[in-house]
Amino acid sequence: MLRESMHAQGSQVELAGVTKGFGADAGIPHAAALTAFTEAVVLREAARTESGRLALRAALGDAGLVDACATAAAFHGFVRIADAIGIPHYSSPGGDDLSGLREQAGINEFYRVQGDGALR
Amino acid sequence: MPQKAFSGTDLPVREDLAEAHRRAWAAIAAPGTWLSAARRVAVAAEIRRARDCAHCARIRAALSPEGVPGAHDTLGAVSPAEVELIHRVVNDPGRLSEKWSQAVLAAGLAEGEYVEIVGLIALVMMMDTFTRALGAADTPLPAPQPGEPSRYRPTGARRKAAWLPITEPEDATAADGPMYPSPKAGYIYRALSMVPQSLRDYWALASAHYLPGPAIYRFDQSVRAIARPQVELIAARVSALHQCAY
Repeated sequence: MLRESMHAQGSQVELAGVTKGFGADAGIPHAAALTAFTEAVVLREAARTESGRLALRAALGDAGLVDACATAAAFHGFVRIADAIGIPHYSSPGGDDLSGLREQAGINEFYRVQGDGALR
Repeated sequence: MPQKAFSGTDLPVREDLAEAHRRAWAAIAAPGTWLSAARRVAVAAEIRRARDCAHCARIRAALSPEGVPGAHDTLGAVSPAEVELIHRVVNDPGRLSEKWSQAVLAAGLAEGEYVEIVGLIALVMMMDTFTRALGAADTPLPAPQPGEPSRYRPTGARRKAAWLPITEPEDATAADGPMYPSPKAGYIYRALSMVPQSLRDYWALASAHYLPGPAIYRFDQSVRAIARPQVELIAARVSALHQCAY
């Protein structure tokens, strides 16, 4: 989804940022601030979440911050459904081969992929 | 029009999103498919309890999640199998396994109960993460409503592609109610389909948080107040930090 959204804008993204974090050079406005805030929310770090919220509010405005919070929250649901129900993780909804993308993004190092022996 | 719907913050929240939260809490407070309303609200309370569980912290810190000695910090209102399901899915979802899921079922949960509880975890985690990210207070848990669970199991639900049964789009029937926007709906959409009401409750909330269905594959547009690559950066980073391979 990230790669396709960048392609739609005529840009590319370094997919290693998915697992290593995105810096200011990612080609996405406010990528570093979005990354820092997202990490703080996931790790439930209250002080970093608050400072990140202030930074993003200044950068994105009220509505932008709300939608950043909404997106981060949405994926706290998606990941739990996917991983608790154990849906297949080795293909896209369209059945495309994602092996190259997964290697670039570092996803092949994840516990479930390693455990399944499903490096496809 | 943005509304102030959450206590503890002055941030204006989209009305469709605030309404989606209200509907989700009302759904949690109603009798489910396999769980009574009281049990559903007790599950919601245990989800919040799990956030500060010391045993879960030890499991997360361990190289392997298997065999870490100790017991979960629980409110004691749900069964041990439910506690294990709730705490592990809340705190370490990226290191679950099929073997673990089958052990939870063998410990005393029916498949429908398992799927319904996972749906509740997703709802509560989504809403509580949102309010905390905003700097707002947790929404108070609702009072359980009277009534009985429907105990409806789709005739087409089968265990095949996932650890738990799924009702594939081609196996869905009219009696299941509306589930799929398209017969090509991805596995993330199908995941809760053994309990159709949980699927509907989940996607009503998730669509308001992330993107409405028709917008998901329109990569050149954004229906939110941030650009689509910004949405997807957040999505990808949250998923990676959870070690979600999907």
